[in-house]
Amino acid sequence: MSALRLLSSAARRAPAAFATGRRGYAEAADKLKLSLVLPHQALFTSADVVQVNIPAATGDMGILANHVASIEALRPGVVEVLDSTNTSKKWFVSSGFATVHPNNKLTINAIEAAPLEDFSAEAVRANLAEAQKVAAGNGSEEDKMEARIEADVYEALQHALGSR
Amino acid sequence: MSSATWRTVFTYNKYAQIAARALRQSLKENERVVAEKRGVTILRYQQWENGQGGQQVFLNPPEEKGKSKPAV
Repeated sequence: MSALRLLSSAARRAPAAFATGRRGYAEAADKLKLSLVLPHQALFTSADVVQVNIPAATGDMGILANHVASIEALRPGVVEVLDSTNTSKKWFVSSGFATVHPNNKLTINAIEAAPLEDFSAEAVRANLAEAQKVAAGNGSEEDKMEARIEADVYEALQHALGSR
Repeated sequence: MSSATWRTVFTYNKYAQIAARALRQSLKENERVVAEKRGVTILRYQQWENGQGGQQVFLNPPEEKGKSKPAV
């Protein structure tokens, strides 16, 4: 009757599928698909993660699901992956690119990466001292530039290992 | 950072290889030995002219003395 008609029209007006496009702050219903690949090994292949922190050349960034598409060059630094159980894993990458695709996928390509436990602080310290000596010496411009690049990697490594 | 000036001297590929090499040299002993093998590249090239192959030349001459198989 009229009561029934009132009910059905009210039901039609109420948002049936509540907020399909909106996402609550507390839960991330969408997961980011991460592929972290090296030439010799694929650390992640389309794995569902919640957040990835990358050391972009323009500054550190945190990538969540549904990020705007972008391409970022990476500097030597730590990539941190947070999965749904809130555990974080860190890898130090030498350099590379992070590409956020429009369909909620993140691809990180690097030549070399290793977990922080695999590094030896002694070796880093010795290498850094040597690289700084070459960079400040009187070799060719190329040699000095090479040493400066290496020194940057070692300094970033020291920073990552120190604040582990 | 001073590291931005390498672009005048190197290509990005060279920069990436240098950074990767620096990372490999900072690993602990066991991983470092495995990783160093990844850094080795061997290239041999040969100039062809009029259907005749020229001398095969190593880009980085290997240090092994002893028998080396002839190219052709």
